[in-house]
Amino acid sequence: MRPTGISFDSFTAEARVLETRRARVWLLVLCAVLLVLPFVSGPWLLGQLSYAFITLIAVYGLFVTVGMAGQINIAQSAFVGVGAFTAAKLSGLGVPFWIVIPAAALITGAISVLFALPAARVKGFYLALTTLAAQVMFPIVILALPMSWLGGLVGMPVVAPKLFGHSLGGPKEFYWLALLFAAVATWCAFNLPRSRLGRALRAVHDNDTAASVMGIPVTRIKIEAFFAGALFAGVAGALTAYFLQFVTVSSFTLFASVWYLGMLIVGGIHSPLGPILGVAFITIVQEGLHKISNLLLQSDSGIGGGAVFSLSSILLALCILFALIFEPRGLAHLWHTTKTTFRLWPFPRN
Amino acid sequence: MLTLANIDVVYGGVIQVLRSMNLEVRQGQMVVLLGANGAGKSTALKAISGLLHADHGSVTSGRIALDGAEITHADPSVIVKSGLVQVLEGRRVLEHLTVHQNLMIGAHLRTDRAGIRADLEKVYEYFPALPALQNRIAGYLSGGEMQMVLIGRALMARPRLLMLDEPSMGLAPILTRQLFETVSRIKREEGLTVLLVEQNARSAIAQCDYGYIMDGGRIVLHGSRAQLSSNEDVQEFYLGLSGAQDRSSYRDVKHYRRRKRWLG
Repeated sequence: MRPTGISFDSFTAEARVLETRRARVWLLVLCAVLLVLPFVSGPWLLGQLSYAFITLIAVYGLFVTVGMAGQINIAQSAFVGVGAFTAAKLSGLGVPFWIVIPAAALITGAISVLFALPAARVKGFYLALTTLAAQVMFPIVILALPMSWLGGLVGMPVVAPKLFGHSLGGPKEFYWLALLFAAVATWCAFNLPRSRLGRALRAVHDNDTAASVMGIPVTRIKIEAFFAGALFAGVAGALTAYFLQFVTVSSFTLFASVWYLGMLIVGGIHSPLGPILGVAFITIVQEGLHKISNLLLQSDSGIGGGAVFSLSSILLALCILFALIFEPRGLAHLWHTTKTTFRLWPFPRN
Repeated sequence: MLTLANIDVVYGGVIQVLRSMNLEVRQGQMVVLLGANGAGKSTALKAISGLLHADHGSVTSGRIALDGAEITHADPSVIVKSGLVQVLEGRRVLEHLTVHQNLMIGAHLRTDRAGIRADLEKVYEYFPALPALQNRIAGYLSGGEMQMVLIGRALMARPRLLMLDEPSMGLAPILTRQLFETVSRIKREEGLTVLLVEQNARSAIAQCDYGYIMDGGRIVLHGSRAQLSSNEDVQEFYLGLSGAQDRSSYRDVKHYRRRKRWLG
């Protein structure tokens, strides 16, 4: 329910993502700030933001598979890896980046379907195990293939993307490239729940028997959920490859998959705003902890590097734990309730 | 229109729930399926709409046909496409979706936008309480409102045959009466055929054209509304019009119960 003062005279107006003129103005201001940021900030911040945009795209993929369709997926990092290796291979063959990125997305989507076929028939714990198998198989397959194919243990170099002869490998240029893809992914993630496919995904999540009685082909929708989630992962993987300009199998671990899930859960699993808030929160906490770790290592405290790494991981896990205890519906819900409280002030929200 | 011929349903490969069930629903009729808990009414509906696999059940023998075309082992989406839609028991709204989204889910297989919009208006006309709730999350609705959403959602699929599984479950008598009146109106105005499973026998028989009584997984009695209303067994066991006062001795009561069991 919306607070007093916001009313609509048509259902189309009510169904908009940005309901008010003020929200649209704020979005324009945000876009303008993000676009001009490279002119006023250094390469470190641009690098962090570029990587955050890539992570956001991968987490949007999880939002589709896990948040919307309710299909647990702990192999998102492996799917990002498939996209990255596809991009590395294709860019090595001289394919331009604007073909590489969609191709990486489609190939990742096709591979995800192989795992989705059995996964669509199982639920809960068994589904988690099926996707875990995908994550475990990913490095095994890469390492088992001939080194000339995907680089084996050593990895593969990636040629920087080029547009009309200009390299997009610099921090500024890559930032804009990542921002463009993150913007497209955001548009897709916010509009998918309003579409026919989006409603079907959420219906399957809510109650697959009720969904099937309305003619929704449940198994096909579950497979489509994996495919759609993997498309996002493929794009994120290709951008990761261009960002790092080198891909190795050790960059796409189960640990990363769990972090992607953590970001989605902390941000809010049911709202497309969740991935944005989750990625922002976890990235800021991670970077803050890195800074503190570096300070500790440089000081005379006598704490070793291993202990600092373990402590920062524990602190990060505690942050997630507290977020889950105090706001289990995620930061997106907290944002929504806070906004409503301010709109209704001085009247109580409930 | 719909025919069930000698249907057997087995759950988990061992528990037989339906035994040689036969049933016929004719075009434009409202047919009611009555029976005690565990008689197999919901299983019969699930067998028709292809939902048995969700409970590890299957039709092991017999034939289900809609307008002569066999749908015995068809996929639920194919069955919905052919015009047969079920409203499940237990208020199974999609609880994280709004009322509007729930209704739109009903039209998932349709592509005619103008038709969908017109049917949405029609649903809002049949259930005047729904337009004000269209942006409400369905999980927060009352029982009666949920039931309206479920029937509205089924209507959005533009069915030819609507199967309702205990729509009055947990509703106040006045709401039940209103609901049955609305279903009758929809049947009349849309030319729908309705197969209704109910525990509320009095209301169901009052609305139906034909009825079947189930017991122990098989049809034990069937007939028109007049035949059912006047049947001694139906009066005794479903309408509460007990003839017990005429059977004063224990022997008479026992004999009567035996006779009913024999029917089953």
